[in-house]
Amino acid sequence: MSLIKHYVRISGQQPIDSGHPTTYNVCLDGQMLVSNAPADTLLADLYKGHIGDYPKFYKMDPLCKAGFIASELLLNAEGRRREQWGESRGVVLFNAASSLADDRNYQATIDDPETSFPSPSLFVYTLPNVLTGEIAIRNHFYGETNFIVLPTLDSEAMASAIEMTFSDGSLQSLVTGWVDCYSESQYDVLMLIVERDAIGHRDELSDEIKRLAN
Amino acid sequence: MEELILKLKNEIIEVLNLEDIKPEDIDENAPLFGEGLALDSIDALELIVLMEKNYGIKIKDPNEGKDIFKSVAVMADYISKNRTK
Repeated sequence: MSLIKHYVRISGQQPIDSGHPTTYNVCLDGQMLVSNAPADTLLADLYKGHIGDYPKFYKMDPLCKAGFIASELLLNAEGRRREQWGESRGVVLFNAASSLADDRNYQATIDDPETSFPSPSLFVYTLPNVLTGEIAIRNHFYGETNFIVLPTLDSEAMASAIEMTFSDGSLQSLVTGWVDCYSESQYDVLMLIVERDAIGHRDELSDEIKRLAN
Repeated sequence: MEELILKLKNEIIEVLNLEDIKPEDIDENAPLFGEGLALDSIDALELIVLMEKNYGIKIKDPNEGKDIFKSVAVMADYISKNRTK
């Protein structure tokens, strides 16, 4: 039985750091939801087609948009009442770029000393763990939240951190995974739901993450 | 004043990322916070930046914002009396 209860994969046809415009596939629990979609409109289209009714989405930075969309697709696929979890569900996410997309956008507002007007709405997103907060607040998940920056998508490190997070005895489930973003059109997401039965199965979990990420 | 109100509505839509909202959807006399557009504290900070950037008005005390940002009409009136740009 899989240790990963549900997953969503949003991945480009080219590597995230290739710098070239790319199209994206969206796969949910093994089913292709979207294929060859243009990068710059995909997230907004997914929001309008599958979520809606949360205008705060448009104020989010690119990392939060990618992670929010993934979490909504994932949780809708799970189909359980989100409010039931409380402290028993946490959110632990990973990436390599931290909040780079928003950092760059914010930097642009303060680059020129002559015309420097720092943007508060960009500044508040210059930390990647704002995404874990967005997901936790939206869904009333009151368990552990964390955002870990790694040099690369390292399935062993991720599995280790996930297992360690469950050492909190009250935690039953985690929304977890990789949410990386370089810009509005460069992102790479593998988001999962993992439960306590992952404890003691770190290697298997690592293998499953690696398989889904490739 | 109508021209300034329309300009202000467009600027608010742009800086606050109010997707799918057009100027004609905004009642210039409706509250900006709490109800109406239901803006939040970060939006308030963006409006303070907008006032300085576009109109040369520095709001030194954020508490002043409660009165200035009551509605688009009140904002426009304040801008017309205090702008330096």
